[in-house]
Amino acid sequence: MQMSNKVKVIPCSGIGKVFGLVAREAALKTVLELCPEKAETVCLAYIVTGDDEVKERMSGSVCITVDGCPKMCASKNVSLSGGNVVDEVKVLDTVRDHKGKNFGSPTELSDDGYVVADEIAAKIEQRINELA
Amino acid sequence: MTVLKVGILSCSGEECLGGTISRLATRKVLEEMKMVETVTLCLPLYNAGGTEERNFANVFPTISVDGCDKLCAKRSTEKYSGSVSVSIDVSRIIGNEHALNTRIIRKKDLKEEHYQMVDEVAAEIVKAIGALDPNSYAGKTFRGCGCGE
Repeated sequence: MQMSNKVKVIPCSGIGKVFGLVAREAALKTVLELCPEKAETVCLAYIVTGDDEVKERMSGSVCITVDGCPKMCASKNVSLSGGNVVDEVKVLDTVRDHKGKNFGSPTELSDDGYVVADEIAAKIEQRINELA
Repeated sequence: MTVLKVGILSCSGEECLGGTISRLATRKVLEEMKMVETVTLCLPLYNAGGTEERNFANVFPTISVDGCDKLCAKRSTEKYSGSVSVSIDVSRIIGNEHALNTRIIRKKDLKEEHYQMVDEVAAEIVKAIGALDPNSYAGKTFRGCGCGE
């Protein structure tokens, strides 16, 4: 298996609340649009399986997790898989700057939801550039 | 009145379109299914949560919805919780060429053809729910996913 040195940006993609979708959209914007040469993602569901192949892929890799709720599922699962979590991004930290806004639903972000996702993606991009 | 509940667990995989389709089809059924109450759980809570989350598939008849043939949602559910009643592999419905697409993953990049795929997969989930024995999902209760669902 070919190993990658790219920073792994892994969101929780929580399916029950809008902040899971914000985490997902922020991470995907980072790896697909802002830093495709420096960053990639790994399916969190694959990490959860604990398969040897994904453990090997994650082992010692530099990871930034993005979590939508205090359960911190992405961070905990990445750590369990052997990933080196250098930054735990919490969606709620950015949401605090947008009090009273409607961010959409777990199915579809509103314009304000995308504003928050884009802000988080920009912060992650900055962090990746610091790491590079 | 007896509350009927069925669990639906999506992989929501971030690396390919199949994960996005699995997530959206699951959400569609959760929001639109009226005859049977449906519940879900964030898959990574099997490790990050507690006993309640790990008991999910033992409480509800559970349908796993996976974007590719790695079947992570099915295998994780059976590893940490209990057996699934039905496993849906999205790649067998929309084809590997679409399911393993690594460029179109974000919701805002989806086109009409992708929403048709969501509808197809949602229909498969509804069909799977219809095939379950009603006695298997009657009268079950669950506190719910830690993130609020």
